[in-house]
Amino acid sequence: MAPAHAPATGDFVPGEEWFAARRASFGPVSLDIGVGPLRFRLDGMSATQADALAARYRPFVEGLPPGAPVDLTLHLGPAGVPEFLRLPPGGSETYRMERRSGPGLRDVWSYEFAARLSLRRREADLALVAESGHLFDRGLENYLRALTASLILDRGGLLVHSAAVVHGGRGYLFFGPSGSGKTTVTLLSPRHTILSDDLAMVLPAHQGFVVAGIPFGMAHHHVPDSKESFPLAGLFRLIQSNRVAREPLRGGRALAELSSCLPFVMQETVEARQALANAGCVLDAVKAWRLLFRKDDAFWQVIEEA
Amino acid sequence: MDLNTVLSKTPDAAYRVYDGLATIVLPSRSEVNVLNPVASLVWDAIDGRRTLAEILESVLRDYEVPREEATRDLLEFVNALRAQGMVN
Repeated sequence: MAPAHAPATGDFVPGEEWFAARRASFGPVSLDIGVGPLRFRLDGMSATQADALAARYRPFVEGLPPGAPVDLTLHLGPAGVPEFLRLPPGGSETYRMERRSGPGLRDVWSYEFAARLSLRRREADLALVAESGHLFDRGLENYLRALTASLILDRGGLLVHSAAVVHGGRGYLFFGPSGSGKTTVTLLSPRHTILSDDLAMVLPAHQGFVVAGIPFGMAHHHVPDSKESFPLAGLFRLIQSNRVAREPLRGGRALAELSSCLPFVMQETVEARQALANAGCVLDAVKAWRLLFRKDDAFWQVIEEA
Repeated sequence: MDLNTVLSKTPDAAYRVYDGLATIVLPSRSEVNVLNPVASLVWDAIDGRRTLAEILESVLRDYEVPREEATRDLLEFVNALRAQGMVN
């Protein structure tokens, strides 16, 4: 099928006709996974795909009875095209994800996938350019990340670009853009439970907020040590330095810093408004700091003083 | 643009004034901006009804700054907002 239009970049832009066309699935197998309070059903997989995902997401796989209600069902199938967005010559750019909204529909596409979400049916058709390997993994996980970031807003939560580490039974969130040191913090905490080194979920709880890992919140397709949630003790904006110190991060500056680390939801006005509101509630309940740290675990001493 | 101008925030902007500072997100550009306290006051007051002259009076009530300087800064700021597509 011809693309809706073919921009000069060579991107394949899936149009209405492309999304409306019926597509085959990869197979008849489904798998339910829990992401915090959200339940996703991945449908239309081959047994091989389902087995691989069940093994990888093991702590997050839900043993729901057939037909049990879930928050969203994803129907997976082959895209039939080699790519949607094309990487520029040289092979790297800031990750792009295009989106388009219509009445009750949300279309999203990136390099490895295109998906149409029907808000009314709570179902999404997810077309992937590969049936296995890193293109399949990345396409599926990036769409699930985007869905999680969006759906969790209605629960008063946030998906934060952050490392989350459990210390003394409480969760500590270390946030910042790529390269700020999230993975470094986890590597410097070898005796701690690591909930994420890239994306963590923050949720309102009976008292304050909790932080939890998600199945696709670790770099390189690892899964976190635990799916449990922990009381959120502090928010730390990572600043690499040759000294170790913490400085209070308050008010609008804290909101701006935290909001800058909310992936996917700042590209659409309604979601961005909800995300700002939720972030404000988190900051009302949990103290935020700038954490200057160097490559040793001395930062934990500073954090304990907080 | 002069002090009789009435401006509206662009409906595309998501914002929140938190602890006196406005954080503004422009989804079309995936930008997060945080304004200083005076700029936040001006941003919050832009509502499609008040003139810039009325907003200027709010600034002068809250901040000790010469009227001429406040007028110049206000017009410069709202021109910048308009250039960035944040107000109409």
